[in-house]
Amino acid sequence: MATSNQLQSIQAMLTAGQRCVHLDRHSLLLWGGVGGVMCGFTDQVLTPERFPDLTQRAVALLIWLGFWFGLMAWVDHRLTRHVRSAREETLPFAQQQITRAWWMLMVLGILCSFAMFFHGGGAMIYALWAVLLGLGMLLFGLFSRPLIEWIGLATILIGVGGLAAGLPMTTAQWLTASCFAVGLPLAGWLVHHVDDHSRLKRLLALGIWLVAVVGGGLGVARLSPGMALPDADTPLVTVDPGSTIPLRVEMGGPLVSISPDITLPVVVSRKVQVALKDGQPDGRYRIDDQPWSRVRDGALYLRIDRIQPQMGRGGAEIVVHGNFTFAGDKQ
Amino acid sequence: MTNALPTLDALLHQPVRTQIAAYLAGRGEASFAELKRALAVTDGNLDAHMTKLVEAGYVESRKEAASAGRPQTVFTLTEPGRAAFAGYVKALAALLNPQPETTAESAPSLFIRPV
Repeated sequence: MATSNQLQSIQAMLTAGQRCVHLDRHSLLLWGGVGGVMCGFTDQVLTPERFPDLTQRAVALLIWLGFWFGLMAWVDHRLTRHVRSAREETLPFAQQQITRAWWMLMVLGILCSFAMFFHGGGAMIYALWAVLLGLGMLLFGLFSRPLIEWIGLATILIGVGGLAAGLPMTTAQWLTASCFAVGLPLAGWLVHHVDDHSRLKRLLALGIWLVAVVGGGLGVARLSPGMALPDADTPLVTVDPGSTIPLRVEMGGPLVSISPDITLPVVVSRKVQVALKDGQPDGRYRIDDQPWSRVRDGALYLRIDRIQPQMGRGGAEIVVHGNFTFAGDKQ
Repeated sequence: MTNALPTLDALLHQPVRTQIAAYLAGRGEASFAELKRALAVTDGNLDAHMTKLVEAGYVESRKEAASAGRPQTVFTLTEPGRAAFAGYVKALAALLNPQPETTAESAPSLFIRPV
């Protein structure tokens, strides 16, 4: 029996040694705060009005995110070294490697945000950030506390689930901001206050985390000022089904150029209401009697399904098959 | 036909020293303060065990400059120390389950994390 106890004690110490990675509270607060602010407010800083040119806006985003996340990584690294040294602790090799992997995930997020200006897929950018954050947490959790591992997995599921559920972009944005700003500091607090060796307590802690993060994100998305419904005084334009409206096509790039005044007549098949401000559409719209949306929510998007060169009546032509979609449809 | 009982490393056959070796095998390296916290022992007790392990060549120590305060001592398991620890764990497992065909293989892996 003594030998058996001795082996168990060895196994326990081995596990304690292997699970030596420790996420400091300042790291969670710093990354959570900056990540949350970046997700929540970047598109209010880098607006099309400030940067009308797409390339300019993409480069501005690269610099903006690169500066803040880079500064964060540097401050976090210095603080972690200082804190560990003050506590007479070493920084384990595993933690140094995982920290590098974490930085790579953040760099990947920044590069994907930049690339989506040119290659599309912008509607899923916040889901991507949530998945990258979750992967980072999961990676830390594998060498740290099991609760961090579970929280990482939950963050990935929030990102993927939000995308699968077709959440409006604003909701996905605030959910991801909440994963950073609420999720990371709360994870730090829970890890310090909950003995996660018990599966039940770990499950309970995860439940609290999920309620706070998902509830916080959805709450902010609901209260987001841009979601204000048009009031009685707001002028509205209604386009009835069957109406023909011009679709102006602006296209460029190194391969083609197009006359800026070209318009395609398209027939609207659903009733569309558009809110006006100073005589111009302010981005709020409603399809049929569904709730009001904003253009930047990402629910309305044009997807290019295929590009097909072919020989037509007048010679060679390119057929571009696009699909104008409203994600808010309940089909 | 008799099976000889495996011999246990006398230096490692002491609970605190076994735990020190196990912790260092899992973590790679640890400072004096970290070991003290993980094992819940006093300074004097830990110091006495570390001295024995260092003298035997199982553990090596180095001083690391600290950004604040005095430099800290960091301990690492040496190759002979790692081999001795692996041998000790195998011998313990053999004692627990003395069938000849399971003596060596039944020892827990040093790097397997229990789920």
